[in-house]
Amino acid sequence: MQKPKNERIAADNLADLYQKAAERFDSLPAFATREKSLKWKPVSFRELYEQGLDLASGLIELGVKARDHVGLFGDNRFEWILTDYAIQFCGAADVPRGRDVSDSEMEYIVGHAGIKVCFVETEVLQNRLLRIKERLPDLQHIIVLDHNARVREGVLKLKDILNTGSSLRNSGDRRVFDRIKGIRPDDLFTLIYTSGTTGRPKGVMLTHENIISQTRNLPGIHNPNDRILSVLPIWHVFERVIEMYTISFGGCTYYSGIQTLGDDMINVEPTFMASAPRLWEKIHEKIIKGVKASHPVRQVLFHIAYFLSKQYRVSEAFLKNKNLQVKKKSWWGSAVLYPFHLVRWLIVLPWFGFFNAAVLERIRLSAGGSLAATISGGGALPIHIDRFFNNVGIPVLEGYGLTETSPVISVRPKLNLIVGTVGPPIRDTDVRIVDLETRKVLFPNKDLPDGGRSMRGEIQVRGPQVMAGYYREEELTRNAFEDGWFRTGDLGMITHNNCLKILGRSKATIVLSSGENVEPEPIEMRLQQSQYIDQCMVVGQDQKSLGVLVVPKQEAFTHNGTPAFSISELAQNSEAKRIIRHEIRRLISASSGFKGYELIRDFRVLDRSFRVGHELTNLFKVKRHVVTEEFSDAIEDLFQNGTKKKI
Amino acid sequence: MEFPSQLLYAHDQILLAIMIFVIMLGMGSSLTVDDFKAVARSPRGVFIGFLSQFGLMPLLALGLSILLGLDPAFAIALILIGCLPGGTTSNMFAYFSRGSVALSISMTTASTVVALFMMPILLNLYTVRFTSQISETMRAAGAESDFVIPTGNIISSLVLVLLPVIMGMILRKKSPGWAKTAEDTAGFVAIMVILYLILTAFVRHGGLFLQTPIQVYLATIGIGMAGFFFGYWFSRLLGMYPLFQRAISLETGIQNGPVSFAIILLSFNEPVQSQMLWLAILYSTFIVMTSSVITLYFRKKGKFDWDVYKNTQIHNRLFGREYVTNYPKDFLPQRLKNDPSQGTSPAQKRG
Repeated sequence: MQKPKNERIAADNLADLYQKAAERFDSLPAFATREKSLKWKPVSFRELYEQGLDLASGLIELGVKARDHVGLFGDNRFEWILTDYAIQFCGAADVPRGRDVSDSEMEYIVGHAGIKVCFVETEVLQNRLLRIKERLPDLQHIIVLDHNARVREGVLKLKDILNTGSSLRNSGDRRVFDRIKGIRPDDLFTLIYTSGTTGRPKGVMLTHENIISQTRNLPGIHNPNDRILSVLPIWHVFERVIEMYTISFGGCTYYSGIQTLGDDMINVEPTFMASAPRLWEKIHEKIIKGVKASHPVRQVLFHIAYFLSKQYRVSEAFLKNKNLQVKKKSWWGSAVLYPFHLVRWLIVLPWFGFFNAAVLERIRLSAGGSLAATISGGGALPIHIDRFFNNVGIPVLEGYGLTETSPVISVRPKLNLIVGTVGPPIRDTDVRIVDLETRKVLFPNKDLPDGGRSMRGEIQVRGPQVMAGYYREEELTRNAFEDGWFRTGDLGMITHNNCLKILGRSKATIVLSSGENVEPEPIEMRLQQSQYIDQCMVVGQDQKSLGVLVVPKQEAFTHNGTPAFSISELAQNSEAKRIIRHEIRRLISASSGFKGYELIRDFRVLDRSFRVGHELTNLFKVKRHVVTEEFSDAIEDLFQNGTKKKI
Repeated sequence: MEFPSQLLYAHDQILLAIMIFVIMLGMGSSLTVDDFKAVARSPRGVFIGFLSQFGLMPLLALGLSILLGLDPAFAIALILIGCLPGGTTSNMFAYFSRGSVALSISMTTASTVVALFMMPILLNLYTVRFTSQISETMRAAGAESDFVIPTGNIISSLVLVLLPVIMGMILRKKSPGWAKTAEDTAGFVAIMVILYLILTAFVRHGGLFLQTPIQVYLATIGIGMAGFFFGYWFSRLLGMYPLFQRAISLETGIQNGPVSFAIILLSFNEPVQSQMLWLAILYSTFIVMTSSVITLYFRKKGKFDWDVYKNTQIHNRLFGREYVTNYPKDFLPQRLKNDPSQGTSPAQKRG
């Protein structure tokens, strides 16, 4: 019998990929749009390709040149991918943003990228762009994707350009094919502006080679039998790469949304998808709720099944050498543990087999049942969620990457699922670890024990996926690289079984689980204006909201009538806590100019101050990674209990 | 060989009776009237399954008994096992082996009903040489009557086991929640009780495992394996596609063990009862292991054709019954290309 096929088209650039996919997969569905829960509209690879050529011919007629930047503001829908096809066929690059782009961002991006033609998804976006149009002299044409939108005067409709292009091609217009031939691997396919709370958005330049290398190097066996559910915003490069990857093996992408996700998972039975931690948290919540609502006998069965699965998988990971190895395994430790795990594995196996089949399969069905794997990216997956899905038997392949690395640097392959890591680097990709202060290379380094494994430092990357630079920001681009290696700004290490483990940020920027970037310094500076706060550090990486660690100023409390002999005594004092809570609320508020996601949800008073040489540098700068490690209990406590009460 | 009589004490028998009741109730809880109607919708598959279950399997049992030279009591038990209808366990294994669950359920339902008259006929037909052997031994020991297969008792035991199945079906109709629980509990109870029987046998008659001739082990393991093997290739020969082959294979090899316990306890007496029961216990134990292994193998082997089947099925579910999926030329092997239900779903007609 036939083995699963690994189909993957090798192409030189995206336009080439689109062309070859149409030849190979022809009438197979490429994208499907939801009309009702059991009524979807498919578009084949061939149809998409032909329409893309039509639209491209229309755009060329409109004046779009090769290597132009074309704006594309909207969310996941068929017209988005159609427009992307056309822009690539023109030899141009798109500049994408979602519907939630703010007016000021829109103005900055259109101006900075020199956009002459801009696609907008909806009528509302059209109106907003028109309002700022007079400040954008280069902007010549606005095109609306939505067929039902009422367009204003001077604004074009996607359909009209399609029709123009179609009749041009019918009368023998072949210009688009010359454009396709003219595309070079180092041409941009997209220019993605990343949002930042401080400073201007940065335009990340990604080339055709960047994205094609990803479709080539991502691990996995896929073919036209695969179904992909699309939920993450398409203008994020992660979702984009997964969709391009899907085109390369002939799978079909089904456009879903957060509201319909549960329903769509059951009807579409996806085999693969790009996902984010938030999504898995939601599914986890739903599963637990479902279990709690079920019959008591079945609840007991679930708990037995989960317990057995946990025992089984921990032992299996140990026996297969697929456990998290932050420290090197000692031979005598292994000699003791190996027989223990072997015996436990053998004892649990038959019971696990039964419960896995009878109980856990029902849980898996709530995610469609066919889900062979899902790559989770865009933030760290909380470890208990990670373990839960692994134990239930839904493989969540946590990956790691940044927009600047288009995006995948490493991912846990299905057969090498080491929970707690983000897997080994993908093919053609080199990762090194550099000491934060001495800038010495820690890994790979032959002079260090175990080649530098388990040494902590900044993660740096070299590979075909690394961006060409930030658009018109030479200094920023220079600072982003060190000896030709891209600096991720993340802290990490290589485990003893050669997987990358992320330990935190070396840059100060905090990325919340919602994806918002927060610069902590302005918040901390504001907090330190309080007479009661001596030192503080804002935390919240991968959390829903921010929290702060506070070292109280002892003298201030003494003056105020709350004398204490030590800081640790203050940390226990409820009056001191009340004062600090009041201070935080007073200083960090919407009225003092902070955005909603910059507000502090909870805090912890620390029992000792930061020390120079430990938590502080000689220049009294807070070493964030050291504080994160030293006060990890307080931080964990903050985010575990902190969600209930608000300041 | 001195085989211990009274393998089970009275309270064990009660336990076994409860277990049979729970399992058959669980079986009924998983069935609906629609499942019976579905049999009529796929008569070809069910008929091939019927031939495999009631034609092939009893013959395999008879062949194995002669080949291994089994004791007459063991031989009768093995043939009894060979004539049994399928159980719900096979549906679960069919699911995990990426086989057609619908066909598996249809076959289980049909065979359970058909067994009412097929079992007594087949059992009488195939056990003639062994019953006469037993009669001779009995007469030599001074008995006056011949040993006969208690046909009437077998039919009434079968009817008796079917009662909880019908009760389960009513439960399913009245309270689907409780029915689901009954279904889940049944599988668990079955494993627990079989383990209990094996353990008590070990504790009370420690030597039993050594006393049991190697041929009995070979027969109890072999009958399941032979069923899987011949079921798979027999259905292939008759032009079934992989998805159905896997379902038929498992349905053929996996028999409804609890029904055999009921028949042996209610219809047979010593000196054969304990021996027969022991063989049935051994079969029930080994079949769980062998079908697990076969299921894992099928699951791997069938991944590709299952993916193709699933994908086309979902295309029809979402894009409408008229949608036709055309895979690239060299993507499907010839066999799947001609398949009305794999390369395309039943509604997909190729021009």
